[in-house]
Amino acid sequence: MEFLASMAIGVGIFVILASSFNLIIGHGGLMSIAHPIFFALGGYGSALLARDLGLGVPPAILLGALVAGAASVALSLPALRVSGDYLVIASIGFQLGLLQIIKNLDWTGGAGGLANIRPLFATYTIDTKLAYVAVVGVLAVATVLAVRGLVAGPYGRAITAMRDDEEAFRSLGRNATAIKVTLFAIGSMFAGLAGALYAHYYLYLSPEQFEILYSAAMLTMVVVGGVRTTWGPALGALLLQVLPQAINFLKLPTALTGPLQGIIFTGLVLFFLFTRPQGLLGTRWSPPARPEDDDDAPPAGDIMPPKTGVP
Amino acid sequence: MLDPVILIQVLWTSVASASFQVLFTIAFALVLKVTGIWNFTQPALMGVAFYAMYVAVNWFALPLLLAVLAALAASAVLSAGIERIAFRALRRRAEEPITYFIFTLIFAQFVVFVLTLLFTPEPLYLLADMVPQIWLVGGVVVTSWDLIAIVLSAGMTAALWHWLRATRQGQFMIAVADNADLAEIYGIDKERSFLAAMLLAALFTTAGTYLFATKLALFPELPLHVMLFAVAATILGGIGSVFGAAAAAVAISVLQQFSVLVIASRWQPLVVFAILFIAIILFPNGVRWRGRQRIADGRHSEDGGAAAASSVTTQD
Repeated sequence: MEFLASMAIGVGIFVILASSFNLIIGHGGLMSIAHPIFFALGGYGSALLARDLGLGVPPAILLGALVAGAASVALSLPALRVSGDYLVIASIGFQLGLLQIIKNLDWTGGAGGLANIRPLFATYTIDTKLAYVAVVGVLAVATVLAVRGLVAGPYGRAITAMRDDEEAFRSLGRNATAIKVTLFAIGSMFAGLAGALYAHYYLYLSPEQFEILYSAAMLTMVVVGGVRTTWGPALGALLLQVLPQAINFLKLPTALTGPLQGIIFTGLVLFFLFTRPQGLLGTRWSPPARPEDDDDAPPAGDIMPPKTGVP
Repeated sequence: MLDPVILIQVLWTSVASASFQVLFTIAFALVLKVTGIWNFTQPALMGVAFYAMYVAVNWFALPLLLAVLAALAASAVLSAGIERIAFRALRRRAEEPITYFIFTLIFAQFVVFVLTLLFTPEPLYLLADMVPQIWLVGGVVVTSWDLIAIVLSAGMTAALWHWLRATRQGQFMIAVADNADLAEIYGIDKERSFLAAMLLAALFTTAGTYLFATKLALFPELPLHVMLFAVAATILGGIGSVFGAAAAAVAISVLQQFSVLVIASRWQPLVVFAILFIAIILFPNGVRWRGRQRIADGRHSEDGGAAAASSVTTQD
């Protein structure tokens, strides 16, 4: 039962992460893979506020989420001046640079990680674990519904318009940068919330947990579930948390378990990219395919990152 | 006041250390220039090249030269497979850039996991004895590895420059890089140029991996971090400028080495990330200077592409 409760908490946390990541890269079309660093900032922020400043855990969790949202502005405001491809690269630099800083600061625990994090409940018994499941579950569903609400209304139409044709959107006098920064901040805030929930359950954070490999895991959840779908990323999070557990039942040595789980993660994404790019729940989200004939294939320059310069 | 010999030593070491970074950067920048794809599968090529060398030397006791050839074959097959199977399929489906990005990053991760499964995450040295010969030149330590690295990277860079400028295939590649459709109208097979760029990337990556592996240990995840250096240099050198990126790689290496004089060594890795971030924000088109636009480098107007294309009418 405790195993199932722990898994449910993990699934809930990843549902929050995957849904918020979907808001940024799917609905917003903002190609950033720095989501794990906002997950980390929420976790570290909340853990340090509660442990070192004596703040109560619930307000620390909320502030941790806000820390992540505020930090996202530091990336998005300068980086969104340039085009999408550059945002990807900037996000990698931002993520790994911040991780490098976390690894070298004493008060974050350095490379050894941050321990002695205060739990949300005084002790973790089966009852309090189930209570944690309820908290995380409610927040996960709330996140999914909040993302759906955001992209379904008038603001959502503006997001779609901005994503599909930013030039036309700007020509109508709309502020695309404001929408991007807002989306980024909201998505990152949810990532921070997930990080805080993670920190106060597992009670330990290590910088290694938030490397680029984590970005791949998040991309996997979104792509496998279905980009720009409401419940797709949630389904992806569920599958990607549960399926690798099957490996654990094989009782393989630890040295084999990690890589095998990784191969499942990444192999699934590759499989879906080439066989069902819309994911399990999605409809086609890329531009419609062109005829198979090579001669009719679109020019490389039209479908790939710009070769020179940026807007 | 710092001793000039120390400064010269740091400069020499940074230039020598830049050698494999230059090769990785050229591989990355060339694929980006010709195909327009940020090829994050490059760490996979590096990983495969290293472990192919490792297996050849340590399991089959082959001479190093044969091991390098085996690594080249392995990385070339992988590179060609990526282009012919994956990139071509994505091009036909007119996928968005984010799909290329997801594919390249995830594929690299996939290979990292496979290599970790096969070889463990522990660092491995290619050779049991990697101590180079050492000479003292005017107080500056010069190693045999330094000389090999500088000669190999400079030689390969010069050869690529000549190949792009003086051969028909090289000109085809420049034409495709400038305007693939226009080049095709002139009878150039753009798919062939895309493949050639990926094969050249395999060649440069394998050469860089050889240099890396004869000096340092490697573990499966390391190439992902090494690649960031190439990305930073590519942006700083100016997207589309292969040799500008190579020069930027040297500049970043020098800056990184000299940073030891002013900041603690534990913060040194941060320099690359800082440069990467600053380059994107302040110099998204690269650092430009006069007289750098050359046909061999392909940084010329669309007309340049047409001119390159029109210099040939048919392809071999």
